[in-house]
Amino acid sequence: MPEIILPELGEGITQATISYWYFEEGEHVEEGVDLVELATEKTTFNLPTPCSGILKKIYANVGEIVKVGDLLAIIE
Amino acid sequence: MKFCQYPHWLVKRFYNTREFNQVRLILRKFNLRTVCEEARCPNMSECFSKKRFTLLILGNKCTRNCRFCFVKKGKPILFYEEEVDNICQAVICLGIKHLVLTSVSRDDLPDKGAEHFARIIRRMKFLQPSVVVEALIPDFGSKEALIELVVKSGLDVLNHNIETVPRLYPQIRPDANYHTSLKVLKIAKKFGSLTKSGLILGLGEKKKEVKRVMNDLSKIGVDILTLGQYLRPGENSLEVKEYINPQTFSYYREIAEGIGFKYVLAGPFVRSSYLAEEIFTAIKDKFRSI
Ligand code: SF4
Repeated sequence: MPEIILPELGEGITQATISYWYFEEGEHVEEGVDLVELATEKTTFNLPTPCSGILKKIYANVGEIVKVGDLLAIIE
Repeated sequence: MKFCQYPHWLVKRFYNTREFNQVRLILRKFNLRTVCEEARCPNMSECFSKKRFTLLILGNKCTRNCRFCFVKKGKPILFYEEEVDNICQAVICLGIKHLVLTSVSRDDLPDKGAEHFARIIRRMKFLQPSVVVEALIPDFGSKEALIELVVKSGLDVLNHNIETVPRLYPQIRPDANYHTSLKVLKIAKKFGSLTKSGLILGLGEKKKEVKRVMNDLSKIGVDILTLGQYLRPGENSLEVKEYINPQTFSYYREIAEGIGFKYVLAGPFVRSSYLAEEIFTAIKDKFRSI
């Protein structure tokens, strides 16, 4: 089960705020499409999915602050 | 529901690729720093994924105090000879075709760091003549001999950013001077270099002031212009005065093309080194035929 972890988005960027999930739990996602939008101190990033599958679970809601290394979602 | 912190056009894709991580590893291995990391550039994952980066040479502490920049200020560490070898090895190891070098300002050195730029360029061109080298230099006090040294070392593109409009210099670049920067580009042009300059917008400049700067740059023959959005790199940095929308960037691009720049790149995520290789490829034939 691929885990979507918040990667290091840039030097010294330790956290981000979830600003939008492009899919809901249970939906099919294609490898490479944007999965989640993250706001950092400097700008907003779109994080693409590394694989295709069902978005099984979302672990962080919109508005929540997540840290580098935190589990964001699971794709099955 | 959407959590909005920035305008909708300020969204950057994050490329978590193998190349992105490989570039980071190689840079660490050769003890090299990039302005991409130091300035927290939002394009970093995209550029690294294409094996592009801008090396920061001559240490990571700057002797000047520009308010938009996130590079550390203070007494710089001493630069070291191995930097030349490490850069060349990393470039060869990663198969880099277009190398962009920049440095902190080194007003503490008699040659302001010009000889070190020249040494790296000469060595790179000796080892791998096909590597295109672009140097984004500080103003070197607009000393002709120092600019000549860098231009004549085998350099392909001389880049020096004008950064902002003259009125904002005291506030944004208190240790620099608008006319000194223009002179740098004029001297580089005199020695036959392809020249490039850029502005960061959103610092409180007015449209007519931007147009004046574009005219000044065009008059001295600057070939390439980049226009990008200032993004606040950290909590203690200058605040963004305005988020320039993509339509305004297009408006500036059209004006700049109209007054004769050979290539203009304008957009929220444009930085002076963004897509440097593509820009060079697009205009090199044009330049050589002149
Ligand atoms: S745009 Fe320039 S500074 Fe930013 S990541 Fe790319 S090469 Fe580095």
